[in-house]
Amino acid sequence: MRIPLTLTIVLFWTCFTMFGQNKQLLYDFVEIPQSAMVNPGVDTDFQWYAGVPMLSGVSLQAGLSGISVNDIFSNDGLDINDKIRDRAIYGMNARDELSGTFQIEILNFGFRGKNPDNFYTAGMYIEGDAIGYWFQDYAILGFEGNADKLNQAFDLGHLKTRGELMNVFHVGLNKKIDNELTIGVRGKIYSSIFDFNSTKNKGTFITKEGVNNIYSSTVEADMQLRTSGLNGLKDASDDGTLGSTITKRAFFGGNLGVGVDLGFTYQLSDQLVFTGSLLDLGFIYHSKDIKNYTLNGKATIEGIEIILPDAAADPNEDFWQELVDDVEGFVPFNDNTDSYVAFRPTKLYSSLRYNFGEHVDNRANCACGVNASSNRARAKYVNSAGGQLYVINRPRGPQVALSGFYQRRFGNFMSVKTTYTIDKFSYSNVGLGVSIQAGPVNMYAMADNLLSYGNLADSNYASFQLGLNIISWGKK
Amino acid sequence: MIRFFRYTILCMLSCLTLLSCIEDQDFDQFDEIGVTPTVEASILYVEAPESLVNASTQANVISQEFNFDAFSSNVFSKRVLDGTITYIVENTTESELSVSIELLDVDGNVLDTVIIPVAPAPMEMQQVDVAYGSSGRSIDIIKNTSSIRVEAVNISGTQSASTAAEPKVILKSSGKFRLEIVQ
Repeated sequence: MRIPLTLTIVLFWTCFTMFGQNKQLLYDFVEIPQSAMVNPGVDTDFQWYAGVPMLSGVSLQAGLSGISVNDIFSNDGLDINDKIRDRAIYGMNARDELSGTFQIEILNFGFRGKNPDNFYTAGMYIEGDAIGYWFQDYAILGFEGNADKLNQAFDLGHLKTRGELMNVFHVGLNKKIDNELTIGVRGKIYSSIFDFNSTKNKGTFITKEGVNNIYSSTVEADMQLRTSGLNGLKDASDDGTLGSTITKRAFFGGNLGVGVDLGFTYQLSDQLVFTGSLLDLGFIYHSKDIKNYTLNGKATIEGIEIILPDAAADPNEDFWQELVDDVEGFVPFNDNTDSYVAFRPTKLYSSLRYNFGEHVDNRANCACGVNASSNRARAKYVNSAGGQLYVINRPRGPQVALSGFYQRRFGNFMSVKTTYTIDKFSYSNVGLGVSIQAGPVNMYAMADNLLSYGNLADSNYASFQLGLNIISWGKK
Repeated sequence: MIRFFRYTILCMLSCLTLLSCIEDQDFDQFDEIGVTPTVEASILYVEAPESLVNASTQANVISQEFNFDAFSSNVFSKRVLDGTITYIVENTTESELSVSIELLDVDGNVLDTVIIPVAPAPMEMQQVDVAYGSSGRSIDIIKNTSSIRVEAVNISGTQSASTAAEPKVILKSSGKFRLEIVQ
């Protein structure tokens, strides 16, 4: 059975190019326009902003739970094969993952409408996202084999992965309902470049004492790998037209999908703010350049079985080929071009923020004041502290991250936010984000898991975000 | 503005680089990774009833060649390091037998022969382990095996009249091999 090249490429990608998605530093960082990308209902006070094309928002995150580079490649004198066996194969479990995402904003702008309570945003960004869970039983089988493991069922469901690359077009409305509540909605069109997913696999492989022969080997599989766009990209690469093919697909030439972001900011009191957002509630319908692979069925073999005298009736009978045919018949490996729907990994953010200290003058064109009865943009406080919740829908169920944060504003010139986050990747994730406002120029940079910089090789998680915008608050 | 942005990124990356450390890593260890799983599975099961033994007094109870391409397939032959084939013979007939198993290459040449004398019932289950590779016969025998010939001869020359339920001669076999996936 020859494994197609495409499948090999996908598995390679899965194993080595997987990337978490939490943007806890950017979330509710209201001085930065891109905070609207993680909460369309953010309480914004800009008159308009325009991101510098390709530079307004760049983010990259990578997470690896259960193991680090240092665990395997540390120069500690131990045999690497022992380290792989102890720390990876048996040290990790099927919930450990290698995952990540990147986003590059190509275009992002926003402006306040004639009704000053309405703020409109629009733009386009490229996003890549992938996750692969540790395929533990496959690793045990591949590293040690099935010998001396009678009655141990290897779980074929440990293969669980998905990934995608797409261009996203978005238009949003942020509306201040009243002095307490701001809501936002953003519509999205996804233009897929490629997609793969294999997330609902079931089955086992088990070796037992045979009924007739010494051993019986049983495989029971219900597995599927769905891909779209990969074959076309391979062909384009061979033809030297990869760039134009990707560009075409990024601009509605590939598979399309729709989605929506929702968010709100609610002022519980003058100093206490509650926010929430739901991102990427959507799907992509894949109908072009589809190649799906399935392995479905059950077979038990005990080698070639010859029961005489019946088996001798035909001296030319090829029992080996019959055995191979039987296995392929009972557990057929097929491919198809069936369309499918892939849901986006939906994300949920929520925060409770307490503002305190002195006030910072608001730059917006308003009668701003903490006690003002009808503010379009509230005055900010020097300090903010609170907690954030992040949940993302993943193939093995929701993943949760909890963050505590503190934000300090230095006039209208600079704002610094630091976070402490607990998630499956790390219990010691300290992040730092800085936003600098130099006249109309806004620049921000953020980095995560700073404590791991003491030994980068021992880090399970790393991320950075940066961007450049032009912002106007209108005339005072 | 772009220049300012570039300088800022450069500054940030420089700071992170200066502040960051990395413990001594030895990526040359990658070359020492060896993935050598040991796999085992049944190979061949042959069953001959007493009636066939009696019908072939002083002659072959069975003499048959079975195609078996598992060993010579590239996925196996290019990776196999060593291993063992285990044969188990059970005889519940009252005839004394000699069972021989020959491993043949694609041209029909005999690469290896294993002869198992089989006592009449009641007998102990007879097990023969044949090692190939570093501690046994040449592993090339396995790599080149394309078919298996099984012969059983009734050397007692007597009719079996066993009182056991369904008396028969059974040959079981399995292989346990170490493969080199990555080295």
